[in-house]
Amino acid sequence: MIFLRQTWAIARRDLLIEGRAGEVSAVVFPFAVVAVFVVPLASDTLAVRLGDLAAPVYWLIALLFGMHVTLRQTGSETRTQRRHLVLLGIDPAARIAGRAVSAAALTFALLLATGPLVILFYDPEPIPRLWVMVPTLLLFASGLSLLATLAGDLTAGLRARSALAPLIVVPLAIPLLVGASQVLESLIRQRSTLTGTLVLVLSDLALAATVALAARALEEATT
Amino acid sequence: MNTQPSRTRSLLLPTMFGLTIAGVGAGLWTALTSSPDVEQGNFVRILYVHAPSAWLAFLAFGVTALGSIGWLVRRKLGWDRLAEASAELGVMFTAIALFSGSLWGKPVWGAYWDWADARLASTALMFFVYLGYLALRRATPDPVARARRSAVLGLVAVIQVPLVYFSVNLWRTLHQGMTVRPDGVQLGDSSMVTALLVNLAAFTLLYVTLLLARIRIGPAEAAVPDVRPAGSAVTAPKLGESR
Repeated sequence: MIFLRQTWAIARRDLLIEGRAGEVSAVVFPFAVVAVFVVPLASDTLAVRLGDLAAPVYWLIALLFGMHVTLRQTGSETRTQRRHLVLLGIDPAARIAGRAVSAAALTFALLLATGPLVILFYDPEPIPRLWVMVPTLLLFASGLSLLATLAGDLTAGLRARSALAPLIVVPLAIPLLVGASQVLESLIRQRSTLTGTLVLVLSDLALAATVALAARALEEATT
Repeated sequence: MNTQPSRTRSLLLPTMFGLTIAGVGAGLWTALTSSPDVEQGNFVRILYVHAPSAWLAFLAFGVTALGSIGWLVRRKLGWDRLAEASAELGVMFTAIALFSGSLWGKPVWGAYWDWADARLASTALMFFVYLGYLALRRATPDPVARARRSAVLGLVAVIQVPLVYFSVNLWRTLHQGMTVRPDGVQLGDSSMVTALLVNLAAFTLLYVTLLLARIRIGPAEAAVPDVRPAGSAVTAPKLGESR
């Protein structure tokens, strides 16, 4: 119960800061929209069928901008802030969980906002049972946020942080990407989405277990 | 009495070095004298480097995870040195496996790289994950902070090793199935099996020798105070600073 309360307090703090700073809504989201436009502008739209590029472009944006959301400037904590949290008796796992929950909520919102734009501008094949993508995106956003929070903590205070954190996140996020893209592919081909969903759920669980085990060591490393 | 352990330790590396030379020689001999494959011809000989390198990469990353757990439990820098040394060797063996696999793929599959092959793509990702691990180590100057951070990443990174290993069974792929299975080694004739096993032993000896040598370098490396790279005297101008 205390763990959940602490997790919620940390998540609420991050969401309030984002509400005031508006980094995701005013910077990351417009940047993601620009990325949606870049591919058609860089392609010969008479020769290339944009609908075929819709899914790869969407997942690329989901991965890169989802990571951006978690590693955003206003979402990062200073060493002093982390020390205060330790002194307040915040569970290190609750701190990471809270940060991941807020990042997951923001990433999920970004993915939901970007999806219709990709459908609108790329005109892909119709996707039956599109609503299945909502829980899929939530699972994807949760895993990516956990991973990026972990990478953000691992690289906290390092000079090379801005390059190092994505280097850690992107290759490790591939199982999430494989799972989510398999669900979309299965929906288009009207097959069962079980395998992709299972990959996503197992990846999220493995990440959550690792965060729970490593939280104390991470706290020592970053305070 | 007191000199015995250090003498044993000082003899260990030269002994391992000698054994490795003999092992690699035997591996080379069996690889070059074994029968060519019915379908692949002499290109099968590349697999005597490729398969042991891939196995050793898995072993090395497993040892990195072991070193990470060891550090988190015991908090002794020796465990961290083991993890670091093994990760470096794992990256080296993964690079050899990828390169030799591509060389073999061109004549046999008709392409150096095939995205439809789950093993190939997942191995490349594993390579980048451990490059990230080594980059994190390099970016953290304090040895204790480095050990803490890399121990966590070492544990996260190892999750994907079984995925890479079993990818040939989990996904439809061009890559052949497991070479060594409970029902035997899946190769043409006995000379090919011998060549594969001798090379596996030789590569294992090479791994152990390099691991011991790298661990021994660790304390000396840590003793070098603040090594600054050439050209570090040239710095970026400080923005906002008045003349």
